[in-house]
Amino acid sequence: MLLSFLRFFQSDARHFQIVSQTIFVCIGVVFLRWDYSFTAISLTFGTALSIQLIGIYLLKLPLHSIKSALITAFGLTLLFKSNEPMLYALAAAIAIGQKFIFKIRGQHLFNPANVGIIAVILFTNNAWISPAQWGNSTVIVFVIGTAGLAVLSRVKRMDTGLIFIATLFALEYYRTIVFLGWNWEVLLHKLSSGSIWLFALFMITDPMTIPTNRTVRIIWTMAVAFTSFYLTNYHFVTGAPLWALVCFTPLTPLLNKFFPSKTFNWIHSTQKQFNHDTKIAY
Amino acid sequence: MTQRLLIKAAALLVLLSSVNAYSFCGFYVAKADATLFNNKSEIILVRDGTRTSITMSNDFKGDVRDFAMVVPVPVVLQEGDIKVVDRRIFETLDAYSSPRLVEYYDTNPCYQVVELDEANWSAQVTSTDAGVRMKYDMVETKFNVTIEAEYTVGEYDIALLSAKESTGLKNYLIQEGYKIPATAESVLEPYIKSNMKFFVVKVNLDNQKNSGFDYLRPIQINFDHPKFMLPIRLGMANSTGEQDMIVYAFTKTGRVECTNYRTVKVPTDRNIPLYTKDIFGEFYKNLFTRAYSREGKNAVMLEYAWNVTPSWGGMKCDPCVGNPPIYNDFAEAGVWWAGWNSASPVFFTRLHVRYSNAKFPADLTFQITPNTENFQARYILTHPAGGPFDCDESQDYLESLRSRRKVEVDELYALAGIKPNNRSDNYINEFVSFMINKPYDSMLKGEVIPGENSPMDPSEIEVDEAYIHSDMEANEAFLQNENPDKKNKPWEVPIFLGSIVGLALFVSRKRTKE
Repeated sequence: MLLSFLRFFQSDARHFQIVSQTIFVCIGVVFLRWDYSFTAISLTFGTALSIQLIGIYLLKLPLHSIKSALITAFGLTLLFKSNEPMLYALAAAIAIGQKFIFKIRGQHLFNPANVGIIAVILFTNNAWISPAQWGNSTVIVFVIGTAGLAVLSRVKRMDTGLIFIATLFALEYYRTIVFLGWNWEVLLHKLSSGSIWLFALFMITDPMTIPTNRTVRIIWTMAVAFTSFYLTNYHFVTGAPLWALVCFTPLTPLLNKFFPSKTFNWIHSTQKQFNHDTKIAY
Repeated sequence: MTQRLLIKAAALLVLLSSVNAYSFCGFYVAKADATLFNNKSEIILVRDGTRTSITMSNDFKGDVRDFAMVVPVPVVLQEGDIKVVDRRIFETLDAYSSPRLVEYYDTNPCYQVVELDEANWSAQVTSTDAGVRMKYDMVETKFNVTIEAEYTVGEYDIALLSAKESTGLKNYLIQEGYKIPATAESVLEPYIKSNMKFFVVKVNLDNQKNSGFDYLRPIQINFDHPKFMLPIRLGMANSTGEQDMIVYAFTKTGRVECTNYRTVKVPTDRNIPLYTKDIFGEFYKNLFTRAYSREGKNAVMLEYAWNVTPSWGGMKCDPCVGNPPIYNDFAEAGVWWAGWNSASPVFFTRLHVRYSNAKFPADLTFQITPNTENFQARYILTHPAGGPFDCDESQDYLESLRSRRKVEVDELYALAGIKPNNRSDNYINEFVSFMINKPYDSMLKGEVIPGENSPMDPSEIEVDEAYIHSDMEANEAFLQNENPDKKNKPWEVPIFLGSIVGLALFVSRKRTKE
């Protein structure tokens, strides 16, 4: 029983992601005392899951795709803020609905949670994100980091997360320490923000919306990091990584066309990893 | 047990009494060797789009000849962008938004009567006076410092400097007779590199004498720049300890929130014992220390947030502890859009930051959010019903009163580390003599005089300093009482999410197998 559960749990990297995100929301609500509304959380999950189920029914998608909707709902719960509970439903509807509409050759144009948040902020003026809500705690960065690496090692997208952080680190190092002359604490303060790590390890790394060719993916990630750095420091944009990402994900299908590689598949990719792991284990 | 609420706003006005010296984002650069101690500053921050107005309060206590201040600003200010305002605006805003006590009255369970009483407050009107002189000059010195402009505004001589490198700026300021902290140079450098200008203020002694004020009035600056921040790092150049800063922020859309430190609400709507009324200042001071320590000493604390649009007739606080700001006040505070014939909304956020060198390594940056949720720091006193307690219901009432008071005493410790003492025992057992079945634990205490309520002296309280300065989660009593209103129960979120995740995985697992 336990063994079969473990086998099942290991069979899909999204399981790790879902468990990690559940832990993050709980840390935020219980220990960091985030404001939350139960109605808003229920609406987010309710809308995301229902629309995904409709999609599954109409488009004959595999039922396991419900897990992706769950991940998107968690992404929204972790980042999105509004006074109006219905806007949570709207964000979830846009996030999931756009997956069925904006598609080029079977590939998504946008990261679901990302575009849901940005669209509602842009069109309603009653939503926002709080990049400082995680604070700058090494404990939280450690928790997010460990969970993130556990997930990414299974989908082989570790490179994206780490390159994003490394590029940002290099740029911020140059600007903050070399150019402006602040001390190390200022740099560490900037880069120990839980939001940046969450973005790097749990949002930008969504395998469905990043280029599959490794070299292209690395360049693409660096471009997102650079844009985000530029928007933060020269245009004082709050939540710049989200704005940068929403500009870059639509390039992915195009890049995949010119630089083809094997299309990502959640179950296969993890299964292979799983088989590999078990071979070593036995 | 019926408990009717009755309202009376009780004023309060805490002002962290021990802190009366002034500082701001800038550092002191004393001209004489006076030892200057800076601990608390107040800022009015008004923002819409990219336009910002910052008013810096001036609670300077030393000899005015020693006063000098350097503040980094993003652009060269024109003379019309600088104003001297009346200090009373800070008092008005502080009184209106500070943490408050509210009193409720139990009704006698034997007679149910409701009585309503409203606090009455006299109006305060402030006026503006800004004598302005102008002198524009531009000098390229050997220090690589450009004097972009020089003005005399009110009792201040103001210079706007831009510099190429920090050593030149430091040497220039020293030559001009300012006493620069040894560590200032390294702090000046980043501001110079990010192309900021320096707003340098000294007191013009003649104008100061003629102005008729025996104190220095607040300076207000206006500029247009996308940067929305307060440069606190410069103010730490000559400070090792903690400094308090209260920010009164005004926007059109909603709350101001910090984007590089957490913005956390102070505990609110908590029931505390009646005798806390006499020591409310002490209570809040300790409560703040406890709250900010619990957040790791690196969070910005929210004390008040409310829609205060002057033309809007809705309730602006509950209860109000001062007059709502009126048109004159908004004009004085630099809220340029809140004129007589304007219907534009005004949203008021009060943030309290206690910063130190180690915990706040970077300047504060802010964003305006559309968050219009109201918030106030409010603490509740509940008066017991008057006697006689001669009906059956009164026994239930007395029992519940006693357990309520136990919780209040626990809260006092949990919130502000104030230890239970004889007075709290008396308080809990005040009505035991009316109870037919005396509670066992009350027998162990000495005789209690009902209704005994001599004013409490602050010296009577004993504060658990180790507790209020720690970041540990509180004891069991605290967790139980965390949300007396029980609107939010954080544990329902993990349970809810757990079930959703479990269900979704279960369903998808079954189908995947098939």
